[in-house]
Amino acid sequence: MDITEYIKLVFTDYTLRTITLGTAILGAVTGMLGSFAVLRKQSLLGDAISHAALPGIAISFLITGAKDSNVLLLGALVSGLIGTFWIRGIIKKTHLKSDTALGLILSLFFGFGMLLLTFIQKQPNANQAGLDKYLFGQAATLIESDVWLMAIVTGACLVVLLLFWKEFKILLFDADYTKTLGFNTKFIDILITTFIVLAIVLGLQTVGVVLMSAMLLAPAAAARQWTNSLGIMVFLAALFGAFSGVFGTAISASQNNLSTGPVIVIVASVFVLISFIFSPSRGLLFKQIRFIKNRRDLQLHKTLAFMHHIAKTHENISHPHTVKILNNFQGYTRSTLQKLVHKNYVRLDGNMWSLTEEGFKTASNLYNQQSDNNE
Amino acid sequence: MSNAQIEIQLIASLVAIACAIPGTFLVLRKMAMISDAISHSILPGIVIGFFITQDLNSPLLILLAALTGIITVILVEYIQKTGLVKEDTAIGLVFPALFSIGVILIAKNANDVHLDVDAVLLGELAFAPFDRLLIAGVDVGPKSLWIIGCILLITIGLLFAFFKELKISTFDVGLSASLGFSPTIIHYGLMTVSSVTTVGAFDAVGAILVVALMIAPAATAYLLTTNLKRMLVYAICFGVFSAMSGYWLAHWLDASIAGSITTMLGLLFLVIYLFAPNKGVIAVLYREKQQRTEVSLLTFLLHLRNHSEEEERHVNHLNEHINWQKVRSKTVLELALKNNMIVIDNDVVSLTEKGNDFTSQAIDYIITNEDSKIEHMKDDFFLFRG
Amino acid sequence: MKNNIAVKVDDLTVAYNYKPVLWDIDLEIPEGVLMAIVGPNGAGKSTLIKSILGILNPIAGSVSIYGKSYEKQRALVAYVPQKGSVDWDFPTTALDVVMMGTYGSLGWIKRPGQKEKKIALEALEKVGMLPFKNRQISQLSGGQQQRIFLARALVQDASIYFMDEPFQGVDATTEIAIINILKELRKANKTVIVVHHDLQTVPEYFDWVTFLNVKKIATGPVKDIFNDDNLTKTYGINYKVSIQE
Repeated sequence: MDITEYIKLVFTDYTLRTITLGTAILGAVTGMLGSFAVLRKQSLLGDAISHAALPGIAISFLITGAKDSNVLLLGALVSGLIGTFWIRGIIKKTHLKSDTALGLILSLFFGFGMLLLTFIQKQPNANQAGLDKYLFGQAATLIESDVWLMAIVTGACLVVLLLFWKEFKILLFDADYTKTLGFNTKFIDILITTFIVLAIVLGLQTVGVVLMSAMLLAPAAAARQWTNSLGIMVFLAALFGAFSGVFGTAISASQNNLSTGPVIVIVASVFVLISFIFSPSRGLLFKQIRFIKNRRDLQLHKTLAFMHHIAKTHENISHPHTVKILNNFQGYTRSTLQKLVHKNYVRLDGNMWSLTEEGFKTASNLYNQQSDNNE
Repeated sequence: MSNAQIEIQLIASLVAIACAIPGTFLVLRKMAMISDAISHSILPGIVIGFFITQDLNSPLLILLAALTGIITVILVEYIQKTGLVKEDTAIGLVFPALFSIGVILIAKNANDVHLDVDAVLLGELAFAPFDRLLIAGVDVGPKSLWIIGCILLITIGLLFAFFKELKISTFDVGLSASLGFSPTIIHYGLMTVSSVTTVGAFDAVGAILVVALMIAPAATAYLLTTNLKRMLVYAICFGVFSAMSGYWLAHWLDASIAGSITTMLGLLFLVIYLFAPNKGVIAVLYREKQQRTEVSLLTFLLHLRNHSEEEERHVNHLNEHINWQKVRSKTVLELALKNNMIVIDNDVVSLTEKGNDFTSQAIDYIITNEDSKIEHMKDDFFLFRG
Repeated sequence: MKNNIAVKVDDLTVAYNYKPVLWDIDLEIPEGVLMAIVGPNGAGKSTLIKSILGILNPIAGSVSIYGKSYEKQRALVAYVPQKGSVDWDFPTTALDVVMMGTYGSLGWIKRPGQKEKKIALEALEKVGMLPFKNRQISQLSGGQQQRIFLARALVQDASIYFMDEPFQGVDATTEIAIINILKELRKANKTVIVVHHDLQTVPEYFDWVTFLNVKKIATGPVKDIFNDDNLTKTYGINYKVSIQE
């Protein structure tokens, strides 16, 4: 299937359109909110919340016996919130550290959820099929009403984000200061947390509890590398998230046996990888290039300074010396000498070198500059 | 009990012990979430290992998968070092990516690989007794029993051999480096053991629930003691207890054994979390209330010492200036009276000699940063606690 | 003699985890002084200003700003937190951080506009950071970051300024720039309260001082009370060691 054909299919095929829209919206909203989670240093909270949601799904199924995903998501929301507050309680009231609390709640809730799921599976109730999808997600089961729910939550989230943009920003940057300005920091905090939990719960059906946290982190971590503005970061994260959703759906739809969740996560991870390496200001590639360039410059300057040191002892600064004496000097290589010649700082004559007028001047300036910098 | 039942419980208990030992150190080193990351990211290692060996119980597969665990740790640390993202974001980025690769590898090769993601994540202990190890045609027991047994033996051996080094490097990195134990080697040693244990245990209890067996017993034990040896022993006991009781819970409910074991761990943690004598929530809340009153008392006594003016020592002043509610003021006054720290004369409060002594000592301790001594002092002075 | 009391603290007691950090502090800070709070590490200096500002909840005592409770007088107070208390890798620019100083007067939801931007630019100019206004904050030096924080407080146009270790880890140029601004504030009859570490510079920079070590040791004009007696009471017998820290 080629690309144009696929694009046509997205617009004509009901199922594919629903899934593509759903994953795109989901990616956008998790990317947006993930930016806040990342900046608040609560990256792994998402992982804990998504795992903690599992028993909620099972219990609400046991109580209602319904397969309606909205009811199940309500259960997930409640148990996700319980998990979140228990984590806070553990950190606050005991000497267990946050990573232990996260790991505890994550694994214990998940294990309990598994107990309930296997229990349900063995019940003589034919209605139970489909709960598995919450483990790894099954985008194929998305229906139009699910997408509507996502769209509504995303819309609400956008409105709140725009309204309280200033408050969110200042709270994320400097909570104590925000308090002194008279803002109710608890309210802002609860608002952010609630929306993060909501976004996670919404994504469970599509991506599953195991991989949900990546949807939150990856787009945000990628977006952070390209900009130094919070607004642009949130926007980019939403964009990366949405693209991950669309591409992931496309790839998994064009192959057999590929569930959508893991593919979306891989696509998002590729975004992260590219951003880490190729971002112009923070990326590893350019950092490495700058590092090498700086080291070269330093070597060049060192060699020039060494030559200057020797030339200084002679009345005629252009007095020739053998290249041999340079060999003892650490920073010296053939290529640095070539470069110095190229820059017209040094004249080479067979095995002898001499400083030019220009080279001498640059070298003495180098000393002055260094002493300037040290001040 | 049938033979199979005994074997299952034995395997579960050995897994619990093998997890509790590295788990204790992970919890103490604030690295609990690393075990979660490892448990996910070994999946591609298991799949690739399975391509090569075609045997889930092969030692080679265990080593390959454990290697993925180490790679995870190295990757996480590398990303942290670049400073591109904040600390734990690195963990959250690495393991879902590796896990997804594993899931896709399985899906793409579904025909050749008789592996299923559920089994890797959740395990199926109930089938463990069916895969027997035959040596020269003689049945010597279930394979997984031997595997986890070997891992446990190695773990225990390493624990005894390097106990001192582990202890020092966990509590004081600087000291251990200056004594010549490389913290890096200990760190990666611990990571290796955790990875191997996770891989070895995955087909019994599943990779994710290994995390529960590593963290929960250690965390529960940490609420009861801060002594490392005791913590190890408690953690092992909690692990084994949950393994046994979890098995019977599963038997009774006809549900996943791993899920039941975790649920038992959860219940155990909940009980200890609430009722632990010193660090449980109820004890903490009670102590906070007591200390709140006692600190208020100290505050009040100091106030009396600082001020000789009558108006500052008037009973009403407590409400007006110290800003306390009526009830609180009353509690504090009563406590001070009961302990003979103050006398009230015509609504004006004065320190007794005992109150004066107590206050002076308390100030000395606080200013010299020896707050802990105040608790002992309270025992000497107080007839009644707050 | 100055007789207007800007800040009054009554019987303030603060405890962290029920360990007393500040004990029964009575303090009156007259209007228009430039005051240093000095004391050894762990003496509760930052705690004192954080409790005055309502960031921490005291277990006893009360605070009043010009005779009324802090909640009512918030607009009169500006705060410069410790530089290390925030994440400087946060994706925002110098100008943006300074603009945050206007958020309090804007209140909920309303966004800063041209007027606020103008105020922020003026403050940046005052601290000599105008050329760096669009710089990402992680690309500023420690001294420049501190000046950004100061500018943010200036934007609040308050009567009373609380500053937590504004001279910590800054270069000499910044230190001079900051102290000049502080002196300017005093000239405008503002009250400035500074948590300070460097005892040597106290007589040069400040005209009022409070010695603090869990309890209040002394408070008053520098020329009257900044002496060996009070230093010894505050820092203990080995106070000279503390100075070098």
